[in-house]
Amino acid sequence: MANVANVLTTRPPALVLGPLIGLVVLALAALLGNRIGALGGYSEVLERATGRAPEFGWKAWFLFGILGGSLLWRVAAGGSELGSGFGWLTRNLSNPASAILLVAGGALIGYGAKTAGGCTSGNGLGGCSAGSPASIAATMTFMATAIAASFAIKAVTG
Amino acid sequence: MKPRIAAAGCGAAFGFLITWGQFADPDRIRQMLLLEDAYLYEMMASAVLVAFLGLRLLRRRHARALIGGAPVALERNPVEPRHLGGALLFGVGWAVTDSCPAPIASQLAQGVLWSLFTIAGVLLGIQAFLGFRRRAF
Repeated sequence: MANVANVLTTRPPALVLGPLIGLVVLALAALLGNRIGALGGYSEVLERATGRAPEFGWKAWFLFGILGGSLLWRVAAGGSELGSGFGWLTRNLSNPASAILLVAGGALIGYGAKTAGGCTSGNGLGGCSAGSPASIAATMTFMATAIAASFAIKAVTG
Repeated sequence: MKPRIAAAGCGAAFGFLITWGQFADPDRIRQMLLLEDAYLYEMMASAVLVAFLGLRLLRRRHARALIGGAPVALERNPVEPRHLGGALLFGVGWAVTDSCPAPIASQLAQGVLWSLFTIAGVLLGIQAFLGFRRRAF
């Protein structure tokens, strides 16, 4: 088990992990004819909770799968390496301010991805793999924006 | 039942892989977005290349989904302003939280309780979108 934990706590080469993730995109298409996407799962959970939808669709089950697979990694790796803080937020700001920014940032993620028709997985992986012009444009836009915003945050926080 | 198991199984594989790649770590995402680490870009490019080639093959063969029989050809949509505007907002949210929807779920599974705030925000954002759409149409 110790060897398994060692393998899992080290990142695999990007050019190994990427093709494996590409195969997951393919598997979802081949099995169900669906485009991968994580945000839709949150939307289906909300729609179910607010009575807009009578039951969970495949997107919610995909999200539950992500939770399960991440948990499996954690068990196999012997625990999480993530600490009690949260990145640049808790290093630079008080806990309440960090929480407020996470809610605000999360709202931008939820509203923005719904508007754009996908998140990093839906547009970035699924839509780009399908050759969808809308997804390619959205991916280039959110990549450029996130890079610019990260440099802006770094300029302010040092 | 079968579609649920297939969707959850694909999700589990995806969740395992992104967690292994440390995409749930906000400091890793920050390094990538500050262009100090090429990992994200190499992963995305190689994932898209593999899936693109595979999907093209399936499309040419007019393949149908193994479960349900739906056509495998995924949608190709023309660019509309909402794709750019939405992606702009999404990009800012991604940079502030150094998280996006799949890694947020991975954080929760790993006991990172900060993710609960991000999840609350994501649900608020989706609610705002759904409410706005209902009024608009």
